[in-house]
Amino acid sequence: MPFCERICPYCDFAVIRARPLSPEDESAYLDTLCAELHARAGAFEGRRLASIYLGGGTPSLLQARSVERILGAIRGAFPGDPEETTLEVNPSTLETARLPDFRVAGIDRISLGAQSFDDTTLRRLGRGHRASEVHRSFEACRAAGFANVSLDLIVAAPGQTLTEVEADLVAALAYAPEHLSVYELSLEPGTPFGKAAARGRLQRPGEEEAVAMLECVEARLCAAGYERYEISSYARPGHRSVHNRRYWQRLPVLGLGMGAVSSDPPSPRHPFGLRRSNPRELAPYSEGVAAGDGAGAQVEVLGAREARAEAVFLALRTGDGLDVELFAGEFGAPPRHFFARELDRLTADGLLEEAPDALRLTPRGRMLSDSVFASFL
Amino acid sequence: MAGDPRIRNFCIVAHIDHGKSTLADRLLEATGTLSDRERRDQFLDKMDLERERGITIKAQTARMPYRAQDGEEYLLNLIDTPGHVDFSYEVSRALQACEGAVLVVDAAQGIEAQTLANAYLAIDAGLEILPVVNKIDLPAADPDRVAQEIEDVVGLDAADVLSVSAKDGRGIDALLERIVAVVPPPRGNPAAELRALIFDSWFDSYVGAVMLVRVVDGSVTAGQRIRMMARGTDREVQELHVLDPHPRKVDCLAAGEVGVVVAGVKTLAEVRVGDTLTDFRQPASEALPGFEDVKPMVFTGLYPVLAENYENLKTALEKLKLNDASLSYEPETSAALGFGFRCGFLGFLHSEIVQERLEREYDLDLIATAPTVRYRVVEKNGRVAEIESPAALPDAADLDRIEEPVILATIHLPPEFVGPVIKLCQERRGTQRDMNHHGSRVQLRYELPLSEVVLDFHDRLKGATRGYGSLDYELQGYRQADLVKLDVMVNADPVDALSLIVHRDKSHQRGTDLARKLKEFIPRQMYEVAIQAAIGTRVIARTTVKALRKNVTAKCYGGDITRKRKLLEKQKEGKRRMKRVGSVEIPQEAFLAALRLDDS
Ligand SMILES: Nc1nc2c(ncn2[C@@H]2O[C@H](COP(=O)(O)OP(=O)(O)OP(=O)(O)O)[C@@H](O)[C@H]2O)c(=O)[nH]1
Ligand code: SF4
Ligand SMILES: [Mg+2]
Repeated sequence: MPFCERICPYCDFAVIRARPLSPEDESAYLDTLCAELHARAGAFEGRRLASIYLGGGTPSLLQARSVERILGAIRGAFPGDPEETTLEVNPSTLETARLPDFRVAGIDRISLGAQSFDDTTLRRLGRGHRASEVHRSFEACRAAGFANVSLDLIVAAPGQTLTEVEADLVAALAYAPEHLSVYELSLEPGTPFGKAAARGRLQRPGEEEAVAMLECVEARLCAAGYERYEISSYARPGHRSVHNRRYWQRLPVLGLGMGAVSSDPPSPRHPFGLRRSNPRELAPYSEGVAAGDGAGAQVEVLGAREARAEAVFLALRTGDGLDVELFAGEFGAPPRHFFARELDRLTADGLLEEAPDALRLTPRGRMLSDSVFASFL
Repeated sequence: MAGDPRIRNFCIVAHIDHGKSTLADRLLEATGTLSDRERRDQFLDKMDLERERGITIKAQTARMPYRAQDGEEYLLNLIDTPGHVDFSYEVSRALQACEGAVLVVDAAQGIEAQTLANAYLAIDAGLEILPVVNKIDLPAADPDRVAQEIEDVVGLDAADVLSVSAKDGRGIDALLERIVAVVPPPRGNPAAELRALIFDSWFDSYVGAVMLVRVVDGSVTAGQRIRMMARGTDREVQELHVLDPHPRKVDCLAAGEVGVVVAGVKTLAEVRVGDTLTDFRQPASEALPGFEDVKPMVFTGLYPVLAENYENLKTALEKLKLNDASLSYEPETSAALGFGFRCGFLGFLHSEIVQERLEREYDLDLIATAPTVRYRVVEKNGRVAEIESPAALPDAADLDRIEEPVILATIHLPPEFVGPVIKLCQERRGTQRDMNHHGSRVQLRYELPLSEVVLDFHDRLKGATRGYGSLDYELQGYRQADLVKLDVMVNADPVDALSLIVHRDKSHQRGTDLARKLKEFIPRQMYEVAIQAAIGTRVIARTTVKALRKNVTAKCYGGDITRKRKLLEKQKEGKRRMKRVGSVEIPQEAFLAALRLDDS
């Protein structure tokens, strides 16, 4: 769902500014989405639904019956009961009013894009909402009966201090969300923030400070009973995200919509699967779907080498780490067979732990994870 | 008996940038050798490197038919040569294949160091010289003054100087006529036993080593069995080509002609530039004189970034040597860098070009150490040795003295820049010999240690004279100097490849600068990196590269995975080009940090 009321200055998703989202645009987009679903379902034939994730953009801009229509179409296309059906919600008054209807439509998990509980931070991030709306939305989620709510927070925002990060954590923990995603702000080239940073115009916390923030996040959340099960993901027991796990374990995902990316299941012709990326603009996306041939999508055939590297760096993002047996099952030999030199060096440097059944990052390795991952490419 | 009266072999020589290659373009066009479609500036500069840098590195041959005003059809063979002093070996070889030389002088700049040097080379080779003033279209052009200068300095009659513009084509027809009139037909005897001079060669992956020859006596035909006189090896000629300017197969190359000989030579060492080809059955009794050996002036260590590429580097050097006879090399081992080669070059630009050619043409990642000159060391026990690398310097305690090569530098420049140039020479430990005024130019002569000139003296001279200064030099001999070895330690591991030999008075400054530069080049790593510069056991400078604390991507979901993987690949690629010394990753460029010391 690519529509957003305003575009955040750090965002590099494929998004369209829609203020407001007209009913015509909404239904036209939905038509395309459903058409794409039917065209693409064949590639996932014989599979059961594991999870549904309505992300964006701002899918909570949709009317409840639109959400119902999408979910109905998906459930009609595949057998199985999804373990998790998530909707991304933006904390603005317009949408909180719809929360009860979303639940009726079949949503059972909310991912709330809070980002911060501090008005100054929210303004510096260029967000449209304020802290009061975050509070109100979270309460509305609970009031609407959502028992599984995730909060997104951003740390190392421009001008943010460690004390402010701590305050955000305290505020977030007060609601005892089932799940928290805490992202260090990343500056993507081409975005207004990225460009400002490239010209040295963005005041960001220094490296030491950012490290302290990330350490503080981990310490506070773990003390409060959350498990850091992925570099940026924290969950109370039993509440890890079912959907996100699929990316880190490289399980098939059917991505629908403008700019969406799919991981098609492996086939005899493509033993390591395909990655399909839809066009990042509305017109070519819609035209591709209308033409019925998915034209415009970029297809990447993964080779063994890429697949191995991805298997390692995606799994190492998680607390469970890389399952040696699973890896050997897919690639014919355990990781050590392919990466002996790298493993020796990384374990010697204290970045990686090598147990008989799994490879895991050490705390230091998590802070330097990209350096670790690069070794496997 | 003389050679074919309708052949003219000539080369174009000049100072750098005076317009040789552009003039060659006009000649190729005027004779109809190049079609309009093929036209491009400096057509004969074929290497990417030449086009990127706008200079000629390799001499190139082209053969042109030309109908002269006397109604006769002539065959002109042109060799465009490089102007930079580092490639002067290309010039001296080309001269041996010619009877004439077109000496080009820029109408605005007048005579420069390499104008003279190349003119003398041509005179020594017994060539007829055709002086040409080029770029007369320039507003600052002063052809009469420059013609007079040619008469005064080179001793050629000013009245014989032709004025041309390689830009707008003025004077080109007259030049062609003059070439026919003045350049003698080929010397040599068509009836004698075959003697052909190999004056260039290159490696072709299909047919092996290929030779570019000038047939002096007799003729060579396809299928003929030939002998390479130096080695005494025999081969059968598989193919012959002329370059007009594209390779075109022919059956025979007669006396006076220039062309390519393909003879299935796979053993690279068999072919030596300067050698003579003769007939296997009726060999000539004496080989042609060949070329003088070149004396390398500058030395650097070249190492593969990946140790397993050592053999590839070795083969690459062998192949490149075929095409660049002025390159020399021998195996060398470094504690930090492993197995590599100490290579000798004619100058710093030459060393840069060789490195780039190795990396591009042979797909190698290399580490080069800072250039040094050849020192003479005298030990207390009386032993004398010549060393080309700091690592080879004996222990200070055993040393009686070190002598360094000293050059006599001749610098031409406009008078207004004399002050800054004298200052530059003094900074470089120079001693003034004399200063003379030639018309509007000043000639400064300085004795300078070669080591102070090899790195960036040229650039600094250009900077100090807004591009108008030029430098030529010759080796004077060796002179004792108070030199010391500056060592570098990275996390307490000595890195032999970073050692330098420097003058004691400059050692402290150099050590401090070097440590600081290395800090800039060495990226932050997982652990703190301590950099120290030392003379003997005395540390004279230290600095640290702080540890990398954080390198983490916050988000990684479906849409990002490919992009993230590519980013990581890039990161890895960057690492691949680094050398691990002890526990520290040192990037390629860091080994040349010493070159950048004067930037600050
Ligand atoms: N105005 C003007 N520019 C010229 C003329 N001839 C050459 N040039 C320019 O001078 C520059 C050097 O020309 P080249 O032909 O590459 O010089 P070169 O002597 O071959 O240089 P090297 O081979 O590197 O020694 C180029 O920018 C040419 O365009 C001319 O007659 N008039
Ligand atoms: S709300 Fe989310 S998707 Fe929309 S612009 Fe902001 S960051 Fe991007
Ligand atoms: Mg040239």
